Amino acid sequence: MAISDRADVLVIGGGATGAGVAWDAALRGYDVVLADRADLAEGTSGRFHGLLHSGGRYLVKDRLAAEECVLENALLRNLIPHCIEDTGGLFFSLPDDDPAYPDAFLEAAREVGMPAEEISPAEALRREPRLNPAVVRAIAVQDASIDAWQTVWTFAGGAREHGARIRTYHRVTDLHRDGDAITGARLRNELTGEESDIEVGFVLNASGPWAAQILHMAGIEDVGVVPGKGIMIAMNHRLVQTVVNRLAMPGDGDIIVPIQTVSVIGTTDIHATDPDEIPVTQAEVDQMLDDGERLVPGFRDARALRVWAGARPLFQDARAGEVTDTRDVSRTHAVVDHQARDGVSGLLTMSGGKLTTLRMMAQDLVDAMVAQLGHDRPCRTHEVAPPGPGEPLRLGGRLVKREETLLDEQLICECELIGRGRLETEMRERGTTNLDDIRRTLRLGMGPCQGGFCMYRATGILHEVEQLDGEQAAASLRDFLEERWKGVWPILYGDQLRQARLDDWIFQGLLDVEHLT
Amino acid sequence: MTDVLGELLMRDSLDHCVKCTICETFCPVSNVTPLFPGPKYVGPQAERYRSDDAPSPDESLDYCSGCGICTQVCPQGVHVAEINTQARAKLRERTGFKLRDRLIARPTVAGALGTPVAPLANWALGNPVLRLALEKTIGLHRNAPMPIYAGRTFQRWARRRDPVTAERRVAFFHGCGTNYYEPRLGEMTVALLEHNGIAVEIPKQGCCGLPLQSNGMFDDARAYVHRLAASLAPYARAGVDIVGTSTSCTLMLKREALEILGLGDDPELRIVSERIYDICEYLLALHDRGELRDDFKPVPETVVYHAPCQQQGHGIGKPAIELLALIPELTVHESRANCCGVAGTYGLKAEKYQIAMDVGAGLFRQVADTASDRSVCDSETCRWQIAKATDVPSVHPVEMLYRASGLG
Amino acid sequence: MNDVIVVGAGVAGLTAAVRLAESGARVLVLAKGVGATHLSAGTIDVLGYAPERVASPREALGPFIAGHPEHPYARVGVEGIEAALGWFTARLPYVGSLDENLLLPTAVGVPRPSAVVPETMAAGDLRGGGDPVAVVGFRASKDFHPALMADGLTRLAGVPARALVCSALPEDRVDANGLAFARAFEDAAFRERVVTEVAGQLRAGERVAFPAVLGVTRPVWAEVAERLGRPVFEVPTLPPSVPGMRVFGALRDALRRAGGRLRLNNVVVGAERSGARVSALRVRVGLREETLRADWFVLASGGVASGGIALDSRWRVHETALGVPVHGAPDGERFSPDYFASHPMSTVGVAVDGELRPLGDGGERWADNVLVAGATLAGAVPWKEKSGDGISLATGFAAAGLVLGKPTKEVVA
Repeated sequence: MAISDRADVLVIGGGATGAGVAWDAALRGYDVVLADRADLAEGTSGRFHGLLHSGGRYLVKDRLAAEECVLENALLRNLIPHCIEDTGGLFFSLPDDDPAYPDAFLEAAREVGMPAEEISPAEALRREPRLNPAVVRAIAVQDASIDAWQTVWTFAGGAREHGARIRTYHRVTDLHRDGDAITGARLRNELTGEESDIEVGFVLNASGPWAAQILHMAGIEDVGVVPGKGIMIAMNHRLVQTVVNRLAMPGDGDIIVPIQTVSVIGTTDIHATDPDEIPVTQAEVDQMLDDGERLVPGFRDARALRVWAGARPLFQDARAGEVTDTRDVSRTHAVVDHQARDGVSGLLTMSGGKLTTLRMMAQDLVDAMVAQLGHDRPCRTHEVAPPGPGEPLRLGGRLVKREETLLDEQLICECELIGRGRLETEMRERGTTNLDDIRRTLRLGMGPCQGGFCMYRATGILHEVEQLDGEQAAASLRDFLEERWKGVWPILYGDQLRQARLDDWIFQGLLDVEHLT
Repeated sequence: MTDVLGELLMRDSLDHCVKCTICETFCPVSNVTPLFPGPKYVGPQAERYRSDDAPSPDESLDYCSGCGICTQVCPQGVHVAEINTQARAKLRERTGFKLRDRLIARPTVAGALGTPVAPLANWALGNPVLRLALEKTIGLHRNAPMPIYAGRTFQRWARRRDPVTAERRVAFFHGCGTNYYEPRLGEMTVALLEHNGIAVEIPKQGCCGLPLQSNGMFDDARAYVHRLAASLAPYARAGVDIVGTSTSCTLMLKREALEILGLGDDPELRIVSERIYDICEYLLALHDRGELRDDFKPVPETVVYHAPCQQQGHGIGKPAIELLALIPELTVHESRANCCGVAGTYGLKAEKYQIAMDVGAGLFRQVADTASDRSVCDSETCRWQIAKATDVPSVHPVEMLYRASGLG
Repeated sequence: MNDVIVVGAGVAGLTAAVRLAESGARVLVLAKGVGATHLSAGTIDVLGYAPERVASPREALGPFIAGHPEHPYARVGVEGIEAALGWFTARLPYVGSLDENLLLPTAVGVPRPSAVVPETMAAGDLRGGGDPVAVVGFRASKDFHPALMADGLTRLAGVPARALVCSALPEDRVDANGLAFARAFEDAAFRERVVTEVAGQLRAGERVAFPAVLGVTRPVWAEVAERLGRPVFEVPTLPPSVPGMRVFGALRDALRRAGGRLRLNNVVVGAERSGARVSALRVRVGLREETLRADWFVLASGGVASGGIALDSRWRVHETALGVPVHGAPDGERFSPDYFASHPMSTVGVAVDGELRPLGDGGERWADNVLVAGATLAGAVPWKEKSGDGISLATGFAAAGLVLGKPTKEVVA
């Protein structure tokens, strides 16, 4: 096959890491192509709970990770304020928690320079009326919530403005190896089936838990990337207004993050083998609901919207042995130098890490590449902000915006306050036929009705904007329903089951989408 | 069954919303103007976007009239109207209160000031030039249905009357409307109850705080309702039922103050809330037990009965309809409207007056089309609205029963 | 003192209440809110898929009932369904019968089988194809997309169809729901604007589809058809359902006229029962709990969608009003991961005997004076079978008949 594209760098993976790397490399003047087999942030980045770490969760167990969080938390608030809501955070202990932990926490916070202020239980309950009233000690920190899709799209958009080419729905099917050097890759356009080859000077593997699969294509085996499965449940509204954590060693179901209009509880930590096979189990769901009840009494009576699983890219060299509970695996990141490790040049892998430190991870990876290439191009991502509105994210943002267009514009997704103009613009700009893609960037259909009303409207508009013919529109609607169901049925009880029944009535009873082929 | 007060977290009831749109179809305001995006939008939907430090960024919420129909019709149990009222208070914390709202939300103040100079006050409120000036300055619509000062108070009559004693007794919560504007209604109520062998005690009492609550002045509303509850609680504790002729004020004590102002922990309000009844509710219960004198004389008239939205908020059906049905030769047309539009102080405001009139238009037409002699309605502010709009007198159901009992 | 308390103000509850009140019973209807009529299509779907598409409910019901002995239809029989339909069509302008389903297009153009439909929808029948269709939508309506429907009609029903978009704004609103359109259509000036805009664009031989908004207090479908000079039909859209509101209005008015009473925002939270007899219901009214007595009780509180049946976070199922035992709750998986598959949870509800009395855990009667009707009943998957309205109407009608002492299978002349 003829070479159909050339670039300096191929970044594999369009999550937070990949987008950050593309931005960093593009900013340093490299010609970048980023490839992801699906939409941006469709993998791990799109499946996390939205926490911008203060560092508190790592203080006692992983000092280095905590320090990184303190630094990057402050940096990101300056660089991408529109992706971050300053919710603040709270760590609180219950009577059966280790009584020595809070002091260890405070001590470590001092040493690491992480802002932490102990407050009284009464004050904690005043700030968070739904908190478990049995709170013993409470410490306020600077957690925040960060919108992953906005973040990824911001960095990718910035990279694009500096000449990078962002190729979503392009799966890497092979890496080309000439002797010991990686020279390029084969890409398959997942939408058209078309294949092409790209020739590059360097490949940066930012594919997270899929890193091992990519390396397999280069003939490199046994890299210790361990997909750590974690489930999360989005609750219909903000049960808490700040991030709430248990003041104890990190465990399951010990954090609730208010992110946009929902609050997300997480998470579990189970070794998976295939990052694409991470089913949500009933036992995990039951456990998570119990955990929630301890953080916020009455949790089980609140409405659960969706449940999903993400796979963390945890790094542990497989040569060190088998892993079952991935919580003990380091959460800091590491550059895997394949030159040193495997004798293969032109290839580096980022392993481990968390979204909070994406900028630093990107810096480390690109620095390593720059060093191997023998160039002198320093990193500037700590001081140059990617293009964005510059205003911090506020919960009421969309409500305020809607006030301005109340009389002029139709509201399509009512739960998430998306107007027709915004939707049509997004549809045209993205040029997508997939309603799920729009769901990710706009939050279309992610509110309580889970698309019950807006999906029909959005399908009609997409059809009208002439991006779909009738058959595609029909397929898109059915796909959306099937896709959405996956995240809904394991937590279907109470209010959400009622909603699902109403939605069943609308789609199957009223529209009869089942027979819409 | 769980403690009903466990459900007093109005906000959390938003979880029950399945976006079915039923509340929107019944909302009297959003059906007449797009300025109000509707109860579903402003209640359970927008509430997900509100937080303590950014309470209510949406001004359109202020067009909610607080009629409460949305909560009545919601099939899932969302406390829509209550969420809206609480959100409005938070909105006002941010934007502040208009002078006009401060004035009209305190009927005891207006009443106390105007009663001694009633003829002058009435003249002023009826004077078109002064009313226009009022509209331009504080935003009270020139055509807003203002009540007429009676020039005396019901409380004073109460102190001077000769009370009947009897085994059974009730405490009478008459409300500000009766006290300053319709003392005659209070007298009729007392006479009717005494006629049925019930002694009536009339405690000293103030305002229930409903207009303050509706206008978002929660702290003041709490103070008012707490004081009122304190004066009524001794009766409730002694096992004496409390009856009220202003159905909206009665609802405030029965339910709204606890739900909306978060006063579930106020022991006096709780005990009052358990023993307070709308007067028609009370009289119908007497009738069901065979204890109501139903030797009514014929009243050969045609009336339209309108159940105020707040009456419907009691959830007791329409006892007035069943009571009026006991009066021979009385033709009663049941209003189809959910709301007459005034919604307490809402329809008095310049920016809302026309909305209120549009809301009530169907009801006003029905009064005209049926050639009714009068309209019958359990809430004073509704009576003043309907009377002004239809030019036909509007009376409380008690007045019809009073007349049919041959008492006056 | 009440003869009958009906719990629920949907089609099942109101049908039972009206029939009882018109027969002289003192009826009180308690409802948490307005029923699901406002969400319905407005048609009476009796049996659409079993699992293949049903052409004749009359022919298909026999085998269907035989194959689904736990289905609510097995309790009332074909005669019961027919009797209920007869009662309904005598008071509302509906056409159709059990003999043959009409095929009406949904808002995405799928032909959907319905037995009895409002006359305003009948001209949309797709049986045997039929005339080409001009689908009229409105710029101000996001709830009806004519191009989508036209496409579906052409592709799936083989009926040529095209979309027309009308720019008239109802009440000057840019974003109007079905009710706003329905009010606007009752205004002659708006109607005229629409008709003028549409008439000029119609081709010979076309019938015209509108979203179901042609008037609410006063249907204006006939006037529109006359002005356009060709068949016109309404198509059900996303809620709020104007045809559903018409049904609710008609039944509520009938109840009122017959002296029945309706109390909204009354939540039934329990029953006082001794032996096999319920003497009263405990009802939450505001912050109080009242005890309301009656001789008979009809439970028509709806299914899961209405909250009549609830599944809690510990996966336990309850009937939320009286606490009647619930049947069919699966021990294992409640749902299939495949959205369009059958789900074990779908048929959960209250099981009843041949006289609509709820059954206890051991199959015995839970109470002699409680009857269950509508979506609360176990054994059906209404949205797949397209049977919900038929179930509600037939069982609500039958429940009233049973209280009045009439056997379920009597045919009303």
